[in-house]
Amino acid sequence: MLNSIWNRRSFLGRTAIGAGAVIGGSTAIELLSTTRVWAAAEGSDGDILNFALTLEYLEATFYERGNATSLITDSREKDIFATIQKDEEAHVQALTDTLTKLGVAPVAKPTITFPAATFATRESYLKLAMVFENTGVGAYLGQAGSITNKDILQAAAGIFGVEARHAALIGVISGATPEGGIYKGATETPIAKADVLAAVMPFLGGMPNTGFAPSQQSLTLLPTGLAIAGAAAALVAFRTRGSRKPQQ
Amino acid sequence: MNQDPFEGRSVIQFSDERDRRAFLKYATLVGVGGSLAAALPIANVLAAASPSPSPSGAPSASGSPSASGSPSASGAPSASGSPSASGSPSASGSPSAASQFGAGDVGILNYALTLEYLEAEFYQKGLAANILGDDEKYITPIAAHEAAHVTALTATLTKLGATPVTKPTFVFPPTTFTDKATFVKTAVTFEETGVKAYHGQVPLIKDGAILGAAASIAGVESRHAAVLNYLAQMPPVPNPVEQHATMDETLTAIKPFLGA
Repeated sequence: MLNSIWNRRSFLGRTAIGAGAVIGGSTAIELLSTTRVWAAAEGSDGDILNFALTLEYLEATFYERGNATSLITDSREKDIFATIQKDEEAHVQALTDTLTKLGVAPVAKPTITFPAATFATRESYLKLAMVFENTGVGAYLGQAGSITNKDILQAAAGIFGVEARHAALIGVISGATPEGGIYKGATETPIAKADVLAAVMPFLGGMPNTGFAPSQQSLTLLPTGLAIAGAAAALVAFRTRGSRKPQQ
Repeated sequence: MNQDPFEGRSVIQFSDERDRRAFLKYATLVGVGGSLAAALPIANVLAAASPSPSPSGAPSASGSPSASGSPSASGAPSASGSPSASGSPSASGSPSAASQFGAGDVGILNYALTLEYLEAEFYQKGLAANILGDDEKYITPIAAHEAAHVTALTATLTKLGATPVTKPTFVFPPTTFTDKATFVKTAVTFEETGVKAYHGQVPLIKDGAILGAAASIAGVESRHAAVLNYLAQMPPVPNPVEQHATMDETLTAIKPFLGA
């Protein structure tokens, strides 16, 4: 399993539609055929947010540890990595706040472990960063059709786009091939929740009370007017807090 | 329904900071969106039209009984609006230029197609100008993506039984294709505009399949925006979440590039 996430080819190979989005072949039919993944019910909005929260915890912890090393030395690259870390931390906070407002218990932060080699070299750090970001992109996209609340959909889409930016930037910093490395074709490819979980599970040493079985949490999600208004307020707070002025 | 919660303010001015009041107003507006299930007729039409072995079967997709009725694109009345209305090019000067695209998902797709036409032509001309030097390797795939988006959106509209908008005539400032820095900065503007435009439509799209397709394009535009900002020495991730703009805001932003 560990091998598979380190190997992008095999990872994408496990997602049936992974090869669909090639340049030039992106006809409408292919584009829309990827919606098979979206059509699958992936749980309530609360389940989806908790799924996303787990991924964000993983990413935030990854950058916190990686950025504490001296693997990235170029000042501009350091700025970008610092920004990415802040983004992931902001995502954790926003998802936690939103879940709380919805009346759904946020999952506990899992115990996160990385192989010893992860932070051994710049290359190993960049390589896993690429995997995490592209997995995050596919994971969010895979949930797009299952989110019922429009405010949550807007927010999740907003996070999804930022993960795509991260993925591209890490590709640039890695010196990756533009097409196939920095970009993944003319359309992003959704990844089903089960595939995402299988990919990230090796890094999640312990997940106490995470309630990943969707049935455990759907019942506690009550999208009443009150809860929705609260969730919207949490997202507003997130936007306000999170806004950045240009750094230059 | 009024979809201009920002009261006509320009997307450029308003892109980075939004006040709480405006967002809440927006959230209220988008909160009434229809269910994704409403989209099933269109998804079925697309599946049925696909050359791949997908016969009348697809029984699970048409789970909702009311959805199976008409195989034509008009099966989703709320989404169909008036596809033919998209032809009128004269509306661009009006306060609600968005109305030129018609209502519903078809209108959104035609709006997206207009933006993709702009981007595709822009990159095509930029590459042809041969001014990009080392940056060309990053921009060549972007040009291909935008062309693919045009193709995909056109084909999707056709499959839906709608009329795709014709390609507008675009005008670019004289130095756009003679100076690399100008080109890259213009590219940043287009990509950021495109990202906000797609995100502005996300909660408004009724068809689940079209939502997924639009989101899958939006993510690619985000990658483009990040890379081009990087090349332009600008902050490549200006916000921890993507911002969004209304149709009218976006059309105002690109109006200088739309010829007569």
